Amino acid sequence: MSTAVQPHRHVSAQTERVPGPNFFRVLNSERIKILSLLSTRILLLCAIALMVGFAALQAWGAGQLSQSLRSGGPGPRESVNIAQLLPHLPVAGVTFSQLIIGSLAVLMISGEFTTGMSRATFAAVPTRWPVLTAKAVYTIVIGFVLTYVGGYLGGLVAQPILGNYNGLHLDMASWDVQRFMLLNAAYVAAVALMGLALGGLLRNSAGSIVTLVALQFVLPIIFQLIPGDFFKEARKYLPSNAADAMFQAGSSAPLDTTYLEPWQGALVLAGYVVVLLGAAYTALKQRDV
Amino acid sequence: MIQATDLAKVYGEKTAVDGVTFTVEPGRVTGFLGPNGAGKSTTMRMIMGLDAPTRGTVTVNGAPYIKHRAPLREIGALLEARAVHPGRTAFSHLSALAATHAIPAKRVHEVIEMTGLGAVAKKKVKGFSLGMGQRLGIAAALLGDPQVVVLDEPVNGLDPEGVVWVRNLVKYLASTGRTVFLSSHLMSEMAQTADHLIVIGRGKILADAPIQDVIDSQGKARARVRTDRPEDLSRLLARSGVSIQASEREVLEVSGLDPRTIAQIALDNRVLVYELTPLQASLEEAYMQLTKDEVEYRSDEGATAAHPSGAHAAQPAPAEAQEASR
Repeated sequence: MSTAVQPHRHVSAQTERVPGPNFFRVLNSERIKILSLLSTRILLLCAIALMVGFAALQAWGAGQLSQSLRSGGPGPRESVNIAQLLPHLPVAGVTFSQLIIGSLAVLMISGEFTTGMSRATFAAVPTRWPVLTAKAVYTIVIGFVLTYVGGYLGGLVAQPILGNYNGLHLDMASWDVQRFMLLNAAYVAAVALMGLALGGLLRNSAGSIVTLVALQFVLPIIFQLIPGDFFKEARKYLPSNAADAMFQAGSSAPLDTTYLEPWQGALVLAGYVVVLLGAAYTALKQRDV
Repeated sequence: MIQATDLAKVYGEKTAVDGVTFTVEPGRVTGFLGPNGAGKSTTMRMIMGLDAPTRGTVTVNGAPYIKHRAPLREIGALLEARAVHPGRTAFSHLSALAATHAIPAKRVHEVIEMTGLGAVAKKKVKGFSLGMGQRLGIAAALLGDPQVVVLDEPVNGLDPEGVVWVRNLVKYLASTGRTVFLSSHLMSEMAQTADHLIVIGRGKILADAPIQDVIDSQGKARARVRTDRPEDLSRLLARSGVSIQASEREVLEVSGLDPRTIAQIALDNRVLVYELTPLQASLEEAYMQLTKDEVEYRSDEGATAAHPSGAHAAQPAPAEAQEASR
């Protein structure tokens, strides 16, 4: 014990050139935190499994549909529809995987507060903002990379399934497939950032996840059920609908006018992220830990 | 050094810390004592920059916590509740904290060995006992080899060996010139560990003095007297401000008179006294006296009176004196 403690320093660390927290060190610290939790790895694997599973299911469903249309004398319009569906296939699971990644992002910060780890974290980094920024960086990386990789694996699994059916082919390198995968990857990163911000604001895992689910799944349905033009118009500005608008970017098909323009959709989605994250930064700075 | 000036924290209606001013000096162990809810933990969180003061300031080594370039190298703290994610191992918890200050892995291993966590360092904190959790908290506090160490209830949940270890550790840290600020509700522990005492009650400082002064200022002179005529001596000693207890046959505990006066009275009246021992007031009694009006969660009077080291001796109790002289 006595050998390990250094003798008294007369000079305060303030005047010595000793390393303190900077952004890259905090980034490293957050990396250790993320990788050292089993729950992170489980959630990441679940998200990948979900994406691959959904892609396979959708491939099988698309095959069955094309077969029944073919045997029942297909109208040309329906076969075109199936061909249009195919590029969506690799990212079919995003509807649900966004929730898993969003929850992971929520837990990344709400876990700090619920376990008391926040006291150690913010005592080490009293300026606080680098912690949230580092978490946001990993949130973006995880959301984007996982969705792209999950989508790619999903596509690879879907290909042989589609191969069993005549005339169905998924080209992973095609513009439409790549476009959907990249746009969805960006979308999941945005949803995860919203989750991170909610977790930082509410500091409560269950509450933040429920809020995220409400925003992504419940509100769109409620807005659809309420009659009247106002809600029909307002619905366009919900994050998931704004994302649907964004997904049309670069598409050769005519734009669906029930959505915003693609660039508007992207801006609205970014707006949610900026506002929520801004609130989270302010709360983190102002509130006691 | 820790300096608090008119430091206050108000939560809505409730004033947790009510304008305290104190200095925790380097080179000695300063105890921070107070009943539950007195404001100890809130004060410590404000020192660590976790809670913003409603009023006043607190500085560590001359600057507010948040202004330090490398805070973990200035001050290390173990704060009341565990500050660890239960899903992480002790090693990864300490590594994550060390990474923020570029503290090398060697130092992480050092504090793990120092706190006796070597065998469990790669196990999840979830399965740690309270004592192991405390050791991990202390390991985190020492990680940056800080000049100031703040420990909130460090012996909580430790086994006797751990208690002795903490006692030696804080004394050693103080002997190397470090500032050690330690809260505890165990007064016997404080009496053995602290050099200086800051007593807080309902957010106000009640005493700020060397531990012996705190005891002396509150405890009344007491003496144990053995005599073959306890009834006679009780009658002779009885006067206002003096309380006498007959604890066993031929033994009296007299408070409010110094041993010399007792001896003189016995001599003048030719009563044989075969033991006359000055008794020191315990820190516990001094503490009870100081905080008797400041306890937030008070048990009823009966429970207080039934306390083993009772408040009897500290209060003049004519009824008891009479009883003893009967």
